[in-house]
Amino acid sequence: MNDEELSFIRRQVKAAMPAFEDSGLRTDLWPRMLRRMEEPSPIFGWFESALVALIVMSFLSFPKLIPLMLYHL
Amino acid sequence: MIVRAMRGHPYIRAYMAGVLLPSWFLLVVLGGFLIGHLTQRIPAGLERALIFPMAVVPNLWGLWNLLYVSLGLKERISIGAFGAVLPVVLVPAGVGLAAALGLRFYTAGHALVALPAIMAVYYLAWKYGVGFFNRVLELR
Repeated sequence: MNDEELSFIRRQVKAAMPAFEDSGLRTDLWPRMLRRMEEPSPIFGWFESALVALIVMSFLSFPKLIPLMLYHL
Repeated sequence: MIVRAMRGHPYIRAYMAGVLLPSWFLLVVLGGFLIGHLTQRIPAGLERALIFPMAVVPNLWGLWNLLYVSLGLKERISIGAFGAVLPVVLVPAGVGLAAALGLRFYTAGHALVALPAIMAVYYLAWKYGVGFFNRVLELR
């Protein structure tokens, strides 16, 4: 197959197959994700602190609760 | 258009956001279990106890979050409070499965004692864990 035949085949293939459209993302989604991740989380108030204290105290007082807790997570 | 497409399928995103936290935590439990198994501190046959946290808990978390999003409960109830109610469904299921699998470490009496602590942990996990994932996935 000489160069002329090769270029003929190349032209025919190009004509038969349309070029792909650029389907890539036009915008970078990562900055949006970062913005959402950096939004302030709910305040850790006195109620949440009391809950943590209650949980720690109950686990220290009743260590058998720990495997039961793990069973439900 | 792609941004709009990514905002679609809210129920799938809600399910995924709910499943994520217990699935990660399961790795910790599994790691502890394997270490216990290797050091022979865990009695034989206790592997059955892993069925519930592996198969039931993550799926119920996902479905619970899906329910929260699909019913539009955000305006009426905080996600922490909604998550704290999940053990009311989950604990009886866990007791039932433990009984069916012959796991004697977990009975209805144990469940009643453990329920308040489980609800408290769930409140925090849902408020700060699942709530965060919902925000990241724009489930508002």
